[in-house]
Amino acid sequence: MHPVRIVLGKEVLDAVRDKRALLTAFLFPLLSPLLVYFMMTAIIELKTDAENMTIPIMGAEHAPALIQWLSEQDVHIEDFQGDPKQAVKDKVMELVVIIPNNYQQRFRQLKTVAIEVVSDGSRTDSRPKVRRVNDLLRRYNRKIGALRLIVRGVSPDVIRVIVAQNIDVASKAQRAATAMNFIPMYIVLATFIAGMGIAVDSTAGERERKTLEPLIINPVERYQIVMGKWLAATLFSALGMAITLVLCIAAMGQVPLEELGLQFHINTRQILLMLVAALPLAFLASSMQLLLGIFAKSFKDAQSYIGLLVLLPMAPSMYMLFKPFATQEWMFTIPMLGQHLLLVDLLGAKDVPLIGYFYSTISCLVFSMALVLVTARLFQRESILSN
Amino acid sequence: MIEVKSLSKAFGDIRAINDITFTAGNGRVTGLLGPNGAGKSTTLRILYGLLVQDTGTALIDNIDIKSDRLRAQQRIGVLPDSHGLYVRLTAREHIHYFGRMHNVDENKLESRTNELIKILNMEAIADRQVEGFSQGERMKVCLARSLIHDPANVLLDEPTNGLDVMTTRTVREIISELKSRNIAVLFSSHLMHEVSRLCDHIIIVSEGSIVASGTTDEIRAAAGEDNLEEAFVKLVERVVA
Repeated sequence: MHPVRIVLGKEVLDAVRDKRALLTAFLFPLLSPLLVYFMMTAIIELKTDAENMTIPIMGAEHAPALIQWLSEQDVHIEDFQGDPKQAVKDKVMELVVIIPNNYQQRFRQLKTVAIEVVSDGSRTDSRPKVRRVNDLLRRYNRKIGALRLIVRGVSPDVIRVIVAQNIDVASKAQRAATAMNFIPMYIVLATFIAGMGIAVDSTAGERERKTLEPLIINPVERYQIVMGKWLAATLFSALGMAITLVLCIAAMGQVPLEELGLQFHINTRQILLMLVAALPLAFLASSMQLLLGIFAKSFKDAQSYIGLLVLLPMAPSMYMLFKPFATQEWMFTIPMLGQHLLLVDLLGAKDVPLIGYFYSTISCLVFSMALVLVTARLFQRESILSN
Repeated sequence: MIEVKSLSKAFGDIRAINDITFTAGNGRVTGLLGPNGAGKSTTLRILYGLLVQDTGTALIDNIDIKSDRLRAQQRIGVLPDSHGLYVRLTAREHIHYFGRMHNVDENKLESRTNELIKILNMEAIADRQVEGFSQGERMKVCLARSLIHDPANVLLDEPTNGLDVMTTRTVREIISELKSRNIAVLFSSHLMHEVSRLCDHIIIVSEGSIVASGTTDEIRAAAGEDNLEEAFVKLVERVVA
């Protein structure tokens, strides 16, 4: 048997028997679909909530025509009594609309009526509702304004100087992909989490438990030992990645995306392509972890370094979330960014140029190989046991 | 056969060993005796290819360990300074792992493993995961995995350190058995009685240098003491002073 295979076999056996580490490795991949499902359903609920919402109104009796119109817009009206500001502050109400006593009087005098919308700006969940109420009031305002102009023989267009028309170039699938930007992030995250335990255990752990000396005095090249450990960690990492990918996509299929006016349809071919696109990440993640593991002074050290390493692959996802940019070919050559772009595009059912796969895979693998070589060099040193 | 010629090694400014020369012949047990920090482990670590000497040569069956490390390592069985085991693997799996690393034929691997398990009297624990093994049981696993490939030379670093009487006896039996099979055995110890009992040839090291070598009688004569322990102390102190 080849030494690399012997080491690989032993490391996998050892890791599989470590039930606690196994749980840590695969807890995230197994939980990620639930996260996806609940996050997406929550988003949809917020939106649909806003659509057939109930508006607590104080002083509804002052503006029967407005209330009538609101009821026609699929909005339920609820009479509110008490201190609206306190109620919102205490989170009893998400928002309260206050119609003033002098509504009728000012309305007849053609004076502007101030309708107060009381809300808590720090609450993200009530924002869609507040936006919708504002939107409804604005529409009613325009409607009445237009009627008033028509009565006076003026075309309402006089006050409509310009009108904005939104043309969205993104396909429905692409918009859905933006909404689930966190899926590529989860996939990348799983790659780093699943192989972490075995990578630390087979480097820093091996040194700490004093098994490294007996191991490296076997008549095999040190780089072969490193390769075996690398492949073992990669195997776990790839497995975690694949589980996350498949389960998250399955979870997305269960989410009623149509209610957002979005479309999510992914076929087996795309799933396979995503796996192919993400696979080099497993090699990269484990090569980084192996290097840190052997570089660290102790097991504890290694764990904290590698814990921090998880933040690294999240950088492109985070950046894209807040500052989207147009994909350019050279971007595929940056390890991790390349994979992220591929995953986002594949999720959005967008065609990815073949060169994208080529660049991202090659650059990722070259980079990982370089890290493995550095690790092998560290293994070669006399001070490997003590560090 | 293990031959060491003018071996020196320094770690930074500290000279760990200085001009060490000796031969451990086949069918003989050679003991490296010395106080802690005398350079015993450093010498052995150079011999099993973990450290590289600054000057001098170390040959295993005429193969230079420095220039032909892998070939030399194939010819030695080592019980190193660290006795670490993988807690989730069984005793048998440990032996197999190291046997495969030594390229032992799969058919032979199983029979040789069983043989060692029998010799070391570890049938009851062979298929248990080593988590919770006693010191003696762990030592047996370490010994078995170092002998799985039938090495022609055996290096043992403090093989009886911290063992109970029963296990120490097993280790002694193993050493005699190896000797009877014409294997070169080199072991280090700081225990006088251990060395005097087992060794055909004793090398006393102190402060990185050899202070005396020979049979027990020769050592006693060199120090002018009848008691070997007194002789040892005297020889070592001579260097320190």
